[in-house]
Amino acid sequence: MNSLRNFTACWVYNLARRREVSMGFSKERRDFLKASVAAGTALTISGWGFDSLLAASNKTLTFADIGVGDPGGDWSKFTKQTGWAVNLVAIGNAPSTILNVLIAGGGLKTYDMMNIVGGLQKPLVENDLIAEIDTSQIPNWQKNSYIQQYLAPGTPGFDFIGYKNKIYGVPTVLQGDSFAYLPDVTGPLDSYGALFDPKWKGYVALEDNYTTAGQKTALYLKKNKLADIKDPSNMTPGELKTVIDFLIEKKKEGQFRVIWTGFEQAVNLLMNKEVYVMDCWEPMVFVARNKGLNVLYADPKEGYLLWAMAAYIVNAPDRTAEKTKAVYELLNFMLGPWYGARITEMRGYMTNPQAAEYAKTHPDEFSAEEAKKVAEISDGVKRKFDKGGTWQNRWPAHVEEYESEWARFKAVRGS
Amino acid sequence: MLKKNIIRYVLFLIPPVFVAFFLIVPLAFTIVISFWERVGFRVRPAFTLNSYIDFFYGVRLLVLERSFLVSVEATIISLLIAYPIAYFLAARVRTALGRNVLLLFTIPFLVNYIIRTFSWTYLLGRTGPVNEVLVNLGLASSPLDWLLYSDFAVLLGLVTSYMPFMIFPLWLSLSRIDPQMIEASWLLGANPVRSFLKITLPLSVPGIFASVIFGFVGCFGESAVPIILGGVGYQLMGNTITSAMDVLNYPLAAAMSSVVVGSMVLLLLLWYFAFDMRSFLGKILS
Amino acid sequence: MSKTNVWNTLNWGYILLVLIFLYVPLIPPILFSLSGSGGSFSLKDITLRWYTDLWNQSLLITSTRTTLILGMITAVVSPLLGLLATMAVRELRVPRLILMIILLPLFIPGVSMGLATAFFFKQLTINTSYWTIGIVHIVWALPFATLIILTAMTTYDPILTEAAFMLGSNRWRAFYTVELPLIWPGIFGAGLFSVILSFNETLRTSLVQGPLNTVQTYIWSKYLQVGLSPEIYALMSLLIILTLILVGTLIVAQKRVGKTRAA
Repeated sequence: MNSLRNFTACWVYNLARRREVSMGFSKERRDFLKASVAAGTALTISGWGFDSLLAASNKTLTFADIGVGDPGGDWSKFTKQTGWAVNLVAIGNAPSTILNVLIAGGGLKTYDMMNIVGGLQKPLVENDLIAEIDTSQIPNWQKNSYIQQYLAPGTPGFDFIGYKNKIYGVPTVLQGDSFAYLPDVTGPLDSYGALFDPKWKGYVALEDNYTTAGQKTALYLKKNKLADIKDPSNMTPGELKTVIDFLIEKKKEGQFRVIWTGFEQAVNLLMNKEVYVMDCWEPMVFVARNKGLNVLYADPKEGYLLWAMAAYIVNAPDRTAEKTKAVYELLNFMLGPWYGARITEMRGYMTNPQAAEYAKTHPDEFSAEEAKKVAEISDGVKRKFDKGGTWQNRWPAHVEEYESEWARFKAVRGS
Repeated sequence: MLKKNIIRYVLFLIPPVFVAFFLIVPLAFTIVISFWERVGFRVRPAFTLNSYIDFFYGVRLLVLERSFLVSVEATIISLLIAYPIAYFLAARVRTALGRNVLLLFTIPFLVNYIIRTFSWTYLLGRTGPVNEVLVNLGLASSPLDWLLYSDFAVLLGLVTSYMPFMIFPLWLSLSRIDPQMIEASWLLGANPVRSFLKITLPLSVPGIFASVIFGFVGCFGESAVPIILGGVGYQLMGNTITSAMDVLNYPLAAAMSSVVVGSMVLLLLLWYFAFDMRSFLGKILS
Repeated sequence: MSKTNVWNTLNWGYILLVLIFLYVPLIPPILFSLSGSGGSFSLKDITLRWYTDLWNQSLLITSTRTTLILGMITAVVSPLLGLLATMAVRELRVPRLILMIILLPLFIPGVSMGLATAFFFKQLTINTSYWTIGIVHIVWALPFATLIILTAMTTYDPILTEAAFMLGSNRWRAFYTVELPLIWPGIFGAGLFSVILSFNETLRTSLVQGPLNTVQTYIWSKYLQVGLSPEIYALMSLLIILTLILVGTLIVAQKRVGKTRAA
């Protein structure tokens, strides 16, 4: 009995071993895998150690930015001036992303500053996430005539940087939005009506954002007396419903090809001539033109959608006084001439009044072409602000209505 | 002896405890949040059904329906595409070669799936290569609009994203079927089709199940494909939940999320009670 | 041609067709990475510039490193836990309950999982680090790993382990020398799957990542805010080429081993 059991066991065991060999998992391969696992573990541990080291080095400011405020990774001027390094981290622009990261994602401990599209003071301040800004510590603030002109307290522009009469954000970028179009196909266009013109049915795209696309539509309806809207930047639920009903009607007629959600997607739509008229941001036009496309950003008679980016100071619980001073220096730097000129040149937005002059007078850092570009962009945006329009409202009073109405627009079955 | 057993039991319990701690507890928390009420920007512990009412009586319910339908469609299509491949590689091809071909299926996944999905917009656009070829060959009189920003495009995106994932469990399951059983069935007089239906297919059900779970749940939770390839305002549950969070309506987001999770868990329970685990776990449970 | 041959050719043709379909989206990024204007592609304007520029993009490089580290963590821990889980299912008395718990992450939409976990960590005041993101990835990959190993195990006959056990080796040695080699394809597959899942994970990660970016979240935020740069396409193309080389070497090495063994 015993021997039979032993025999069976032996036979089965050998069968297993033979199968193992025929599986093709040779010793060489097993060794290779073992080595790579070991290497991987070593890499993991070393990476972990490396980053604790980095965190320990305390002369770094961590700066969350949506991508617009990144001067190509070159913070050397700032570091040379102050001795502090800047660690830029990408962050999304959606209010929830920002709040989630700050509240739940440990953002308060990690970030020192945030550079996002302004107008979010209400939720940020009420959740105690950002600190009031002491403008006396920012010399470039006084030199910034744009702030006095366009963002003064009491004006809608102030809502991009302030709350309850206190300043919370530093306006690093200013811009006015309208829409883009392909002149070779459509001829000159000068009204938001082009977005809803049946001539371009199926060749129009809107941004998936009720504070931009929605507000521009409201501006259009109001200025052309197609709807009774008092203030496009802060609509009542009733006015909002009118706007959305209008959009739904157009959607059912097949007016829109797509509602875009990403920069890349928007540029693509133009480049591939998938659409002819598109509600978008001006930098997309710059990028497309760079790639050789003849596309123009419109100068609509109804005016522009004005907005500003705000750099906020995150309310980190235990930031040293030294670090806070460095943060103010960074804010000052961002309102400064070199940063302004670089950002204008790279991204196509207007920054501060010193930028154009700086670019012209520093040919070693900015070529003549670049300086010209900076001057043109700054002039262009100034014109927009003078023309006016409506200030974008990132957090309208009835923001939930906005959200659910926009959801209604999206959910309705098109043609 | 007892000490050894305790060590074993502790080790075996690590995975379930891990998941319980890092997932079940947070999820329970989410369900709790869905009953809270909103006060300004904050949420306050309470017990109200407002969020659920908002969800079920609002437009977002349509999105739930659509997510369900699209996921079912995409999963079925993917399964129909993947099964023959898995079968062929498992049954008719040497194991080594089969494994290598499978590896070929996994390479596209090392390219970021956003870039991959986005490539389709380039390929399927009105001025893209596909339309060019179609028009040049005379198969279409003008560029086809419905190739992109449509239900078709979303299905395409979902299938190309999940189908390769689904081949692998099918292959694993099929390659373990003892060919002698098939031979036996032939010897007993059944033709190949019958052998397949009566022997191979039932034995591969564990693999089918695994791959269907991968596909269905993956599609249901998708949020990038609808945005990149979908038509005007096309969205699935992933998108609505994110947009509810965008206005800090956490209870609503939590409610929608809980409904989704709830319905999935229902499916899981259905499987638990209806499907005899023994046939799935086979000899493991002896 | 015999009937089997016809069948074979048809099958291979079908597989080829599907593969082409899957690989076609890889072509535009490669073309864009070679294009001078970084956008549309034209044969007149080919450059390798982006491949060198790539290394200057510090954010991109650190993101890649984060992704690789996370991939390693997930690839090692998930199959391990998956194996333990499968054994738990096999040995403990409540297999279905355990399986249900393990498979739960499959049914949770990425956004809920990310948010729930983020809040949870905040409650426990745990700071974000490679490990917090790693945990999310592991929890996400675990059910896949477990299912794969489980499927691989369904036709493994425990009598083989019993046999070894009877022959005198202790439980662990029996497992290691007999069972492990046979289910190794399953474990390897689980590891590979976990890497792929971790690599593609965007939504969950973005909610718990804090200041750490992975390539996925970096690309997603770039896609939304400022557009994809040609350097990103260059990185992706490099990845494709590297993987193809790796797979090619693996296949060749296998054939070699087969030959030596035959000889």
